[in-house]
Amino acid sequence: MRIIRKTTSATLPNLMRIIPFIFILAMLMLHLILPDKTFSKDEMRYLAQCPAFHFERILDGSYTTKVETYFSDQFPFRNFWVHIQKKSPIFTTLLVY
Amino acid sequence: MVFSSLFFTFAFLPVTLILYYSLGGSFIPRTARPWILGLYLRNIVLLAASLFFYAWGEPAYVILMCISIMINYCIGYFLDKNSTSRQKQKLFLIISLVFNLGCLAYFKYFGMLISTITTVSGWNLNAAAPALPIGISFYTFQALSYVIDLYRGKIKSQKSPILFALYISMFPQLVAGPIVNYADIESQLVDRRMNLRKFSSGLRRFLCGLAKKVLLANNIGLLWSEVKAMPGTEISVLMAWAGIIAFTLQIYFDFSGYSDMAIGLGKMFGFHFKENFKYPYVSQSISEFWRRWHISLGSWFKEYVYIPLGGNREGKWKLLRNILIVWFLTGLWHGASWNFVIWGLYFGTLILIERLFLHKRMKRWPKAVRIIYSLLLVVIGWVFFEFTNLTDALNYLGILLGAGDNVLIDVQTIAKLEQYTVLYLICIIAATPLPKKLALSLIRIQCNIYKIAANVYYCILMFFLTAYMVGSTYNPFIYFRF
Repeated sequence: MRIIRKTTSATLPNLMRIIPFIFILAMLMLHLILPDKTFSKDEMRYLAQCPAFHFERILDGSYTTKVETYFSDQFPFRNFWVHIQKKSPIFTTLLVY
Repeated sequence: MVFSSLFFTFAFLPVTLILYYSLGGSFIPRTARPWILGLYLRNIVLLAASLFFYAWGEPAYVILMCISIMINYCIGYFLDKNSTSRQKQKLFLIISLVFNLGCLAYFKYFGMLISTITTVSGWNLNAAAPALPIGISFYTFQALSYVIDLYRGKIKSQKSPILFALYISMFPQLVAGPIVNYADIESQLVDRRMNLRKFSSGLRRFLCGLAKKVLLANNIGLLWSEVKAMPGTEISVLMAWAGIIAFTLQIYFDFSGYSDMAIGLGKMFGFHFKENFKYPYVSQSISEFWRRWHISLGSWFKEYVYIPLGGNREGKWKLLRNILIVWFLTGLWHGASWNFVIWGLYFGTLILIERLFLHKRMKRWPKAVRIIYSLLLVVIGWVFFEFTNLTDALNYLGILLGAGDNVLIDVQTIAKLEQYTVLYLICIIAATPLPKKLALSLIRIQCNIYKIAANVYYCILMFFLTAYMVGSTYNPFIYFRF
């Protein structure tokens, strides 16, 4: 009994320590669940869509770049994050736009 | 795929970790058969993930890396098989050296050779240089350390091709170091501890590294790119100093951030890598700087070049020769361009001067003087590192030392310095051991409060890191404004 209690009491603080990782998992889940958007009003452009798979595109490296662009363009709450970055107190004055 | 991209942190890493930890269970006793099988499967997952990671950025050169792995594995096998005949072993060692250094020479330095011959002799060589495969300098050095240590009888050969491939290609340290010696990781490949505690401290280390890269290096780097883009006659002296110090901070946070991420990622998978940076900017001599900066590279050159050449045991002339060879190579390792060689020899010369003349005198200097002396020489060194063209480097150095007719200070400089003051201060404090000391003293005084504060801190950090990583991909279409 003592041993079991000891493990549970040690697990909770450790779980607290991995909240950032749980956040990463949640974001990945949301990315998969939320429907893709086609147009961003904030950026005035069409967002990248999931690229079609072509064997030649893998070899010249353009496929992987497209996947990364798709992933960042369709990131959950994209506009919210951009907004936070622009308004974040410490670095606001530093960012040159 | 770089560590600081959204795709790595939010897709590749979690998927790899889930696959990795879903195999085998930490509740199984470590000596039981299923545990060993579980670790075996985990190693396969990690190897597959590493090859995928490399192929993602280098779809063609992944084959080169696989060939390198196979050849070095076979050489290891033959070195082991012929352990009675030193002569045969020597032959295999030479084959390995020729192959590994040949690959490095062709893929990294061939272009440099062609352009040098063209400039010196004026011949127009019609040879195309290959593109540089990412991480080739790192994995080649790891393979060399394995083969040489095996030849020296320091280690046993790795029988399992999977574990050997994992040693060479493990994605945390594959593209930007640290260079892991086989002897340090041999036992971890077959048996390592993985638990929630270790995972969470690895995660924290990874986030620290990510913050160094995304929040500090990238932002202070903006100042340097602005200064670098200014025409030489318009930069004020103070601006030139502000610029090169910004670069000094940028390169430290960039590189040590990558090392932190590698060490943290390794820990998340149960590995323990040695430290690669130990606050280099508080060094009290140039020799000490190089014991704190990119430690794994320095010790590699010491172990496999400097000591085999005779080190410092054979008189002053040999010492001179050995140090210059080591620093020529260290410089060249950083990139296929002559400015890196100059940068390396610059440090070689400084270390020689320190060893031969300054060594005793420096002990009498106050600590602050020693730190400023080292820092100043390191900052000047970065000028040679950053400018590929020697004329540009000397021009910039001239501005720094007030040799040109640049103004000392102007309105633009004051505006820029005001803009960057906060970031400058944060960066300078973060480059010293102060934050760590503060955390350690806090943990001693109020352990529980510290633990809660640390949890909150890492959550906030994760939040802002996400914002900055998404923000860096913000790409508004602004044509309609004009």
